[in-house]
Amino acid sequence: MILKSFALYIIIGITGIITFIIGYSINDYYSTDRTPVQPIEFSHQIHAGTNEIPCKYCHIYTERSRHAGVPSVQRCMGCHSIIKTESPLIEKLTSYWETKEPIPWVKVHNLPDYVYFPHKRHIRAGLDCKLCHGDIASMDRVTRVSSLQMGWCLNCHTQRGVKNGRDCWTCHQ
Amino acid sequence: MKRRNFLKIIGAGGVGSGLGYLFGKANKPPTSELIPYLIPPEDIVPGVASWYSSLCTQCNAGCGIIVKTMEGRAKKIEGNPLHPVSKGKVCSRGQASLQALYNPDRIKSPLKRTGDRGKGSYEEISWDEAISILSRNLIALGEKDENDRLHFLTSLTRGSLNRLINDFMTSYGSPNHLQYELIQNKNLLFANNASMGIQTIPHYDIANTKYLLSFGADFASTWLSPVNYSSAYGQMRQGEDGIRGRLIQVEPRLSLTGANADEWVPAKPGTESILALAIAHLIVKEGHYKGADGAAWKALLSEYSPKRAASITDIAEERIHHLAKDFVKTRPSLAIGGESLARYENGVSGLVAVNILNHLAGNIGKKGGVIPNTAEPLTGKSTLESKNSIASLAQAASDSKIKTLLVYNTNPVFTTPNAMKMKESLQKIPFIASFSSFMDETTAMADLILPVHTSLEDWGDDFAEPAVGYPVATIMQPAVSPTLNTMGIGDIILSLAKGVGGKVKDKLPWNGFSDYLKDAWKDSYSKNKAMSASALTFDGFWNELLARGGWWPSERANGKAVAVSPNAVESHISKTPSHFEGNESEYPLYLTTYPHSHYLDGRGANLPWLQEMPDPMTSVVWGSWIEVNPKTAAKMGIKEGDTVTVESPYGKIKAHAYLAPGIRPDTVSMPIGQGHASYGRYAKDRGSNPIEILPFKKDANTLELALNSTRVRLSRTASSDKMVKIEGSTRELGRNIVQTISPDKFNKMNKETA
Repeated sequence: MILKSFALYIIIGITGIITFIIGYSINDYYSTDRTPVQPIEFSHQIHAGTNEIPCKYCHIYTERSRHAGVPSVQRCMGCHSIIKTESPLIEKLTSYWETKEPIPWVKVHNLPDYVYFPHKRHIRAGLDCKLCHGDIASMDRVTRVSSLQMGWCLNCHTQRGVKNGRDCWTCHQ
Repeated sequence: MKRRNFLKIIGAGGVGSGLGYLFGKANKPPTSELIPYLIPPEDIVPGVASWYSSLCTQCNAGCGIIVKTMEGRAKKIEGNPLHPVSKGKVCSRGQASLQALYNPDRIKSPLKRTGDRGKGSYEEISWDEAISILSRNLIALGEKDENDRLHFLTSLTRGSLNRLINDFMTSYGSPNHLQYELIQNKNLLFANNASMGIQTIPHYDIANTKYLLSFGADFASTWLSPVNYSSAYGQMRQGEDGIRGRLIQVEPRLSLTGANADEWVPAKPGTESILALAIAHLIVKEGHYKGADGAAWKALLSEYSPKRAASITDIAEERIHHLAKDFVKTRPSLAIGGESLARYENGVSGLVAVNILNHLAGNIGKKGGVIPNTAEPLTGKSTLESKNSIASLAQAASDSKIKTLLVYNTNPVFTTPNAMKMKESLQKIPFIASFSSFMDETTAMADLILPVHTSLEDWGDDFAEPAVGYPVATIMQPAVSPTLNTMGIGDIILSLAKGVGGKVKDKLPWNGFSDYLKDAWKDSYSKNKAMSASALTFDGFWNELLARGGWWPSERANGKAVAVSPNAVESHISKTPSHFEGNESEYPLYLTTYPHSHYLDGRGANLPWLQEMPDPMTSVVWGSWIEVNPKTAAKMGIKEGDTVTVESPYGKIKAHAYLAPGIRPDTVSMPIGQGHASYGRYAKDRGSNPIEILPFKKDANTLELALNSTRVRLSRTASSDKMVKIEGSTRELGRNIVQTISPDKFNKMNKETA
């Protein structure tokens, strides 16, 4: 009898642990920071994919600054004061513009403060955006495809033989 | 399986997955947002710094700076590499001016007093209301025909702002614009004018001199133009191969400059001018002076024999001979007289004595000597002020002759001795308006407070005083947009002019100070040939001006030689040492005070970077101290860090004792700058203010306050707070950190290797 109830508790315990892992994975998969839900369901697939707008048309600082630059609301309105103004999503955009509020986009690629990552250098070195950001043109909602971990950075730096690419101070300055 | 067990397993599963989900959620970094610009500013690229050239206003040297801004915020300050005064360098005070901009204790909007004066109860009002209260007050004064009862007290303002204030005051009908700061150069200007007839501070060419005889000029921390002189000092020491200029520092308390000197000459406080005149005596007596008026000099200096001087100054006779010989033989040489010499009761006479030395050794107008500057290029005005002083303002106030006082950027309540009764005098003024960024002690007495921009948010210009042998004009332009509901001082005066109306409005019709400034420069551009030759159009000139940070001629003009005549200086040189209040038996120690290298006259005490940074001589942070010679301390049973009461005939304060071998045993010394009663959370109730216990003594010529003019006594007292400093011990304790070798041994070694 004692043995039987002991086995039962073991089973209950194992079930708990397995479901804990399942619960964690569900959170990780569905409510992930890799593919965050954005305030406006902006589709890169439509813009960069179907309409083939070049990345740098909106992300204007890639070659000039460490930040690629999230487009200003004015830039969105530059087209959307004419194009597809009836769509509910564009109406949402227009309401931001009219209330003079910037759109609080959620970061997909978030590096900690102690990492110095300049877009400028990477773009000027001739790297394709896809190399780190994946095939954005096919993403409806943007997903982070790279881990952005240090190993991932170093791997690429080593493979390409980047000058001082393995030096601590190159990225932690 | 039993139903109950099945339910248990299901339950465990449910709880497990729920916890797992929550754990996953809690483990994630919080989502960050990426806020775009609504409309991107044209001149900002996020992540790329824009640098603006501007002017540092932390002291009066007039250094050019460049301000690094990112996304419209000021991040870092450096010296402007093109600027002839700062030469790409900037001192700690300049670096810390960022913290004036971002200071949490800045006054955020105009304030009107509601409770009793000085009690600190204010209500926020709008700018329109503030300007109208003040203009109504001025109009009311005008109606009663009491225009000259308006006084405007400012810091040492130069350039266009000074002109604007003067225009405002004269068109309003009041001659009472007084410039006051604790650290000012009135004594030096007076002495130079009296002895050399020049009305600006000359350029002391430290860079090219080979023998610098400094009478208490602490140019490494605060004297006149510290950034310029520090770099010049490096030039003097290492600029030329094989020749290392020598620095001799005469002062009772070893300053940072003294610590860098080859020789420290610890003359008795108040006797430095006698020492200087004894050196002059020797130069003439031994026939080194070749001028035609040699006999007159000989007669004038006859009573300053080295023997007598030695007994007065406590410097050995041989040493005086030695100093005189080196000073006159080493070419070029230069004598300078600093703040501590200027701040005796006979401050002017000490500075005159230094000028005599320079004249007799033939240093005036020579490279590596004293190079006279010309007048300000824009206004052509000299900087010599009228015979008004803060003491006469206090007197007028206590006689109820002032109806309205406007105060800008100066803090006389903090920087005058209690014996002068500044605060009591201010109480008698019916209306005080203060233009200030911070609630300092004087602003706390105001009825109306109009918060001004900090220098990083405002327009302005400045003409470096002293210039560097040629005029240097610096432009101040806003590096950032105003962060609070404040206004520029120039803009306030112009809106006030509109509010007052009449003649004042006619005289000052500009809408903003930036327009006024631009017009002032347009005017000088059309008049000054060198300026109009440098650019084809004014717009081109103006853009160049903003980009470079100012205007200065491309080459150096040679300063003209001016002579010092015995007749001119006769009435100014002193026969006796400077007087110290208090009798020797009751108050055995001389007290000298000096501006702290970070807080200056106290204005830097609200910037935490400056509080946190150790004092270069003592390493003390966040407090004040009194420097006592270890021998004196041992006699009195005072140990390092003990709290002592410092008592003069005029009051007492407390300070921590710092045992400094670099001070005469009969002297104690305290830095100025701490001991604020208000002025924000970092400055308030920290340390003590030595000015409080000073007597109310003025220099007879300039009416400037004498800071080194009293004796004190010390007594140990109980206290719970500690002196905070980073240095453990000043001694090597046998660790052999600094290795030394005697000259004999060195010469022997040299011979052996040769």
